[in-house]
Amino acid sequence: MTAVADAQQSTRVVRPSQARRQPPTFYRDPLSCLQSIFGALVTDAGHDPVATLGARWEFRHIPGDVRPEEFYFPERTQGDTAGSMMPFHPVHSAWSVPAEDDPLGELAELIERGILPIAAVDNYYLPFRPAFHDVHAAHLVLVYGVDRARGLVLISDTMPPAFAGPIRAEDFLNAWGSANPADHQDAFFSDSGIGRRYLSVQVGTDWPDESPAALAEVLRTNDADLTAGLAGEAAQWTGLAGLGRYVEHVVDAARDAQAGPLKELYTFGWSQQAMCTLHGEFLRTRGSQWDIPALREAGRAVETVAHTWSGLRVTAAHGWPDPLAAADDLHRHGTRLRQRYENAAVAVRRALAVLSQPAKEEE
Amino acid sequence: MQNIDLSPLLDNVGTSTTADTSAGRFNVWGNSFAAEDLPAPGSVVMVDAVPFTIPPVGTGAPDNVRCAGQYLALPGGPATADWIHVLAAGERRVEDEIALHFADGSVDFEPVRVSDFWAAPPAFGETRAFATLMNYPIHTQFGVPASVWSQRVPVTRRAPVVGLGLPRNLALHIFAVTLQPVAVLTGGAVLTGGER
Repeated sequence: MTAVADAQQSTRVVRPSQARRQPPTFYRDPLSCLQSIFGALVTDAGHDPVATLGARWEFRHIPGDVRPEEFYFPERTQGDTAGSMMPFHPVHSAWSVPAEDDPLGELAELIERGILPIAAVDNYYLPFRPAFHDVHAAHLVLVYGVDRARGLVLISDTMPPAFAGPIRAEDFLNAWGSANPADHQDAFFSDSGIGRRYLSVQVGTDWPDESPAALAEVLRTNDADLTAGLAGEAAQWTGLAGLGRYVEHVVDAARDAQAGPLKELYTFGWSQQAMCTLHGEFLRTRGSQWDIPALREAGRAVETVAHTWSGLRVTAAHGWPDPLAAADDLHRHGTRLRQRYENAAVAVRRALAVLSQPAKEEE
Repeated sequence: MQNIDLSPLLDNVGTSTTADTSAGRFNVWGNSFAAEDLPAPGSVVMVDAVPFTIPPVGTGAPDNVRCAGQYLALPGGPATADWIHVLAAGERRVEDEIALHFADGSVDFEPVRVSDFWAAPPAFGETRAFATLMNYPIHTQFGVPASVWSQRVPVTRRAPVVGLGLPRNLALHIFAVTLQPVAVLTGGAVLTGGER
């Protein structure tokens, strides 16, 4: 038997590995592929993605940690991206790289066990992405099937133009194994090797109840972290004090004609903007559901913070080739951003006070 | 309604045609609106009963104002208005302020809120004036609509407006501006101070 015939013989007996159903999708325009896919998996597990991803509200910047990837997130627990984003819920994740000899086999095995891996990919090699054969950029897709016999991989991508279905395994492997080289068309998400990384997410069963009292506890924790002081040598810049230090760092870098921190700002800022979007929507919609006007207003105030990130991020995105010229505008947008965080924090505290009031006894 | 001539301030090419999709650069990635899906340059279109003059889309010339703190003196002189209507789009969602300058020297800052142009719903209750295909530097993309929004800014002060101070916010792009005059009340009593 020839090698080809041998391979054909062996592929005939490989049963496709695929999820029992196509994964759901979750999307909001300020989110990245990271929040969108985590939201899809939380939905798939039967939970509300906005309540889960939107419970935490913080500011966190880790100097030296920002990677040019759409899915960058500054982790409070290193290596556990999901746990860092959803600390009030039993959701955790870990990055892995498969064994060299059968990388698709490892994904297939996970799918057989009911775990849908999230693969890092380079958009350049994915036929359904706008960047196909044009721009290199690090992105995430959800893998929900591997058909080695037919040379296909089933993937779901909730980011527009949105796609779910089979692509050639060859295309997937190229995207998954790409060096994602520096691309002058994308200063923010290229120049970061993909290296066949994938995330596996565990969604636990000990799910917390959702109630005004439980939300009050969440808001209390968030507020304590947001208003905590910051040590001079802190490795992570957190809370409002951390935001102040970060804005000062970016403006100083611009005035020193450094482009790097401005490029990083666009990438890093996405993680914080998305968080504000989800927290704001969570509070506002619960304020409607529970008829608590102060909670609706707090949510809207947090959403305003999200929208204020646009001005700072876009100024940096356009301004990095000439940082000095952008410095004053970065200072103005950064100062406004901090003011809006502070305003929103006050609004959240007002909502917390309402949530903390003892329930009136029925007459 | 008074259409405001934005020609002196147009500084960004946000549209392109299939013949040269790289001609437009609405955002930093060189995405642009497909001009074939927009009304002809110079035409007046009605959106929510508001007339807007379409800028020179698809010509390769600047067709929108990227907001960087420009001041727009109303070319026709002072005008009373209830609303400032804009055709606009954001590079992501934008919330900022327009400075309304009045004939008596007063200035009011009023909110301007515009949604993302890139595959997004209206986040601020705007009307989607136009949805086009999305042009990329080397192709036209299916499934990623590009939206121009019709939004309005209130004029609360009862005084003639003489100019608009645009935000210093590069994420906000304005394609057209129309002033809606003060509504004329046709019924009800006019109260004086002594009658209250």
